[in-house]
Amino acid sequence: MSTTDLTDAGQTGPPPQVRMRRRMRWLPIAPATALLLIFLAGPIGYCVYIAFTDMQLTGQASPSFVGFDNFTRAFHDPHFVNAVVLTLVFTVVSSILGQNTLGLTLAGLMQRASKTVRTVAGAVVICAWVLPEIVAGFLLYTFFNRQGTLNAILDWLQLPHQNWLYTLPIIAVSFANIWRGTAFSMLVYSAALSEIPQEVTESAQIDGAGGGKRLWHITLPMIRRSIGTNLMLNTLQTLSVFGLIWAMTRGGPGDRSQTLPVFMYDQAFNNALIGYGTAVALLLLLVGALFSVVYLRLLREEV
Amino acid sequence: MSAASSPASPAASAGSAAAPATAADSYGASARDRTAARQRPRRRLPLTRGARQRLAADAALLVIAAAFAVPLLWLVFASLDTHATLRVAPPHSPTLHNFSAVWTDRITFTPMLNSLLMCGGGTLLTVVCSALAAYPLSRFRSRFSRPYLLTVLFTTCLPVTAIMVPVYALFVQTNLVDTLWGTACFLAASQLPFGIWLMKNFMDGVPVVLEEAAWTDGASWLQSLTRVILPLMGPGAAVVTVYTFIIMWGNFFVPFMLLITPDQLPASVSIFTFFGNFGTIRFGELAAFSVLYSTPVLLLYILISRRLGGGFMLGGAVKG
Amino acid sequence: MMPVRSTAFPALALTTVLAAASLSACSTGNDPNTVKIAFRKDTDNKVTLADDYLREVAREFERTHKGKKVQLIPVQASQQDYYSKVQQLMRSPKTAPDVVHEDSFMINPDVKSGYLRPLDGQVKKWKSWDRYAQSAKDAAKAEDGKTYAVPDGTDTRGIWFNRNIFKKAGLPQDWHPDTWDDVLKAARTIKKKVPGVTPLNIFTGKAAGEAATMQGMEMLLYGTGSDPETHNPLYDEKSKKWVKGGKGFKDSLRFVQTVYSQKLGPDVDQALNPNMQTKVNADLIPQQKLAMDIDGSWLGQQWLKTGGNPWPKWKKTMGLAPMPTQHGQAPGEVSMSGGWAWSVAAKSEKPDLAWELIKTLQSRKNAVEWCIRGAQIATRSDVAKDPRYLKSIPGAAFFTKRVRHSHYRPKGPVYPRVSTAIAEAMESVTTGDTTVDQATRAYNAQLKSIANGAVTSQ
Repeated sequence: MSTTDLTDAGQTGPPPQVRMRRRMRWLPIAPATALLLIFLAGPIGYCVYIAFTDMQLTGQASPSFVGFDNFTRAFHDPHFVNAVVLTLVFTVVSSILGQNTLGLTLAGLMQRASKTVRTVAGAVVICAWVLPEIVAGFLLYTFFNRQGTLNAILDWLQLPHQNWLYTLPIIAVSFANIWRGTAFSMLVYSAALSEIPQEVTESAQIDGAGGGKRLWHITLPMIRRSIGTNLMLNTLQTLSVFGLIWAMTRGGPGDRSQTLPVFMYDQAFNNALIGYGTAVALLLLLVGALFSVVYLRLLREEV
Repeated sequence: MSAASSPASPAASAGSAAAPATAADSYGASARDRTAARQRPRRRLPLTRGARQRLAADAALLVIAAAFAVPLLWLVFASLDTHATLRVAPPHSPTLHNFSAVWTDRITFTPMLNSLLMCGGGTLLTVVCSALAAYPLSRFRSRFSRPYLLTVLFTTCLPVTAIMVPVYALFVQTNLVDTLWGTACFLAASQLPFGIWLMKNFMDGVPVVLEEAAWTDGASWLQSLTRVILPLMGPGAAVVTVYTFIIMWGNFFVPFMLLITPDQLPASVSIFTFFGNFGTIRFGELAAFSVLYSTPVLLLYILISRRLGGGFMLGGAVKG
Repeated sequence: MMPVRSTAFPALALTTVLAAASLSACSTGNDPNTVKIAFRKDTDNKVTLADDYLREVAREFERTHKGKKVQLIPVQASQQDYYSKVQQLMRSPKTAPDVVHEDSFMINPDVKSGYLRPLDGQVKKWKSWDRYAQSAKDAAKAEDGKTYAVPDGTDTRGIWFNRNIFKKAGLPQDWHPDTWDDVLKAARTIKKKVPGVTPLNIFTGKAAGEAATMQGMEMLLYGTGSDPETHNPLYDEKSKKWVKGGKGFKDSLRFVQTVYSQKLGPDVDQALNPNMQTKVNADLIPQQKLAMDIDGSWLGQQWLKTGGNPWPKWKKTMGLAPMPTQHGQAPGEVSMSGGWAWSVAAKSEKPDLAWELIKTLQSRKNAVEWCIRGAQIATRSDVAKDPRYLKSIPGAAFFTKRVRHSHYRPKGPVYPRVSTAIAEAMESVTTGDTTVDQATRAYNAQLKSIANGAVTSQ
């Protein structure tokens, strides 16, 4: 990486004009910093503030400070616990297991496939990713609906029907997220796999290593940094999924697919409890922050 | 994170195979083809190991692709079918009636225009600010660079959904709520961290010597930024621009929370009111609108991927 | 050397622009000659009866008030979503409409949050105010005794039933159930004799929101107990305390559970869909796929010529029966009354102009027109006597008779949250996720926290 110290300072330190110039040259970063401070840092601070009040959307003259009440309420609220569990299920199934492995599989397959198939498959998978979230939500709603295509296919294969959106909404929603997000993992892993030198794979083949052994002992370790990156980014993105779930099930029936973002919205606007919803949001933010810190430590040597 | 390869290289590195290699693509397969071709003896066996592997991979890929394609098929079929149902079924008499039904001001034009204004403005803001910010981060050494970058990276990872309720409350207090430009600013801010990160990485790939040449000619930093660096990382900047736009175009939650007056709603939210037409099953119109709404981003993506190997550059930049 | 001065400008300029822009956000940019009116637009795009009516009133207003304009703000959402969207709109002067259509039960909570403006001065000077029924005037008052809205109609509820399906099932054309069991028996008969038709619809679940609470639970709950006429099962007016769920509550939940577990009602996933009301109104009933529906007096509005789904045959096809009390105890029938009203937002910058618009909306001619098109029950004596109104909907006579024994919802500002808790309890027994006892326990716990401890047993 190139860096240049643009002063021609000697041992005695730069003259005043140069010093001013040195400070001024950081000016270009000002607009971005201003935007970040106003629109991200500000709301985060406000988030912390509201989480400790009992602000409501209606039925309240003015909010008052209630300390940790919202948080204690959350931990005793079975709906909150349910939301946490569902979020975990959703993240593990769709991100860690689903998108990650499917993305790696696709990347691996694409390395070996013929060009046309590769292009077609790539296009379809990426199309699912580029499509706006709400459109994806509707498409998958029609797919998983009781009268939708999945059941039609199952019928054709003589397998039993299921009312996916009703009995197993969290699974349906997880599969929807896999459908939508796999492209990203596929791209990351494709780039990573393409950097593994040919010779390494070949020498392993010559040594008699079968496919599975090669994968486990050679390929995976070589791309482990990508795996880490991908897992982190995917998991964090999955934590904040709202529109997809909202369009498909609205968190229902009951609260069977109510992950934390959906729960947070429900509490703040349908139950008019803005303070409580924000407290849940703050907890979600903290979880995200925790993941980010772990991720950054993994990357530390790169920056 | 290693910087993405500079724009010229994907085309350059892999493609010069003599073998019946396919044209270069970033999957790295052509290198393999070369090796396979070299190794393959001239036998009369119908299928070599390489070919067998290829067929197996093709088959598996096709199955997976088919699974992915099914919902997309619904979109296409239903939009052309006035009697569309929930199932994927080719229309008996394909017609463009659904499209003409939604081709109105209230349903299509106003929301799409709002989306364009909001996302275009937001993207412009993001790209300009992140290019400006990436310049000192990439070029100057300072003890503040690393913490700044780490903070930026940290912010990338935060679930923005989580702060939407306080953002809404904040916007109400400052009278920014229900303004398109306020929402665009927020969208821009939420995309900034990733934008800065990408821009900086791409910028790192442009050697300083080229800039120094410009300076000896008397260019200011801004001129060197716009005339030397940006053109060289042009594809990278384009990737950031298009990627940012795609994300904003599809963003539902932010405009859902911050925009209320129906006239201001972008297409990502107005499509939602469609879904209310349950009692009367108008899936055909919903599909038609979805097609119209999704077309711009699909076109944009095709544009960058064809000219720049875009998504793969993204993957390369991110993979670390 | 790098000259710095000229290059600092772009960065500085950008920052300044941003800062200036955010400061300028403080002005609201509202045109003083335009009055904004917010109302709920049906999620079915074909149904434009509210839009059409308001557009006509707007044109009239613009004619009689030269130089002033009316801007319609249709909020297209399900009923439950409409409430929160309007509340969000009213929070800031920039987005606040001037005139807003409020569901009467939202008046108290919204007044408490400072969203609405008192209208006592205005209604005192208005001739027509005396013609409003006392119950309507009370519905428009908040806890502080001030008037905050002008009602444009009220409604009552009963059982709509399909005469053709009843004929096929061998049930009487002038059916009149006396107890809950009679209703369930009819449902079972229909299920046996007319397969393929849903016997009974009772709204349930969080997504239906207030519809579930009012057309569902409250229609049952207010018919329980030994003295349904005078005893309020939900809220004790004297002690100002909310009543915990007891036997009556559990019996009502059990009714709902029976309907759904014995498949006497719609499929559960359909019932929990946010747009079930639209589906019942526009699809199930006109397509004659539903035999009985516990619903309101306004149901016919869409089937008129001016509605979105005209159905001329409805007058002959649909019969009406009052909802019975649990065991037939006096007065023998249950109905709930609600109604919508026009308010002026507190943050509106042109309250006087807003009031002018309300007066136009509720001129005698326009009030009658709305009662006809919206299938509303008149709350004013002059409208109630109008021959056009009396002839307009055959159900008018039936529903107007129900007013006598109709109950109003509790006025406490926390009612909306109680309503949500009731709907949640209904949902959990509908899906079978909890038993009636569990749901009642959960409801009582929630009630206690909502009411800040101000609860009492029956």
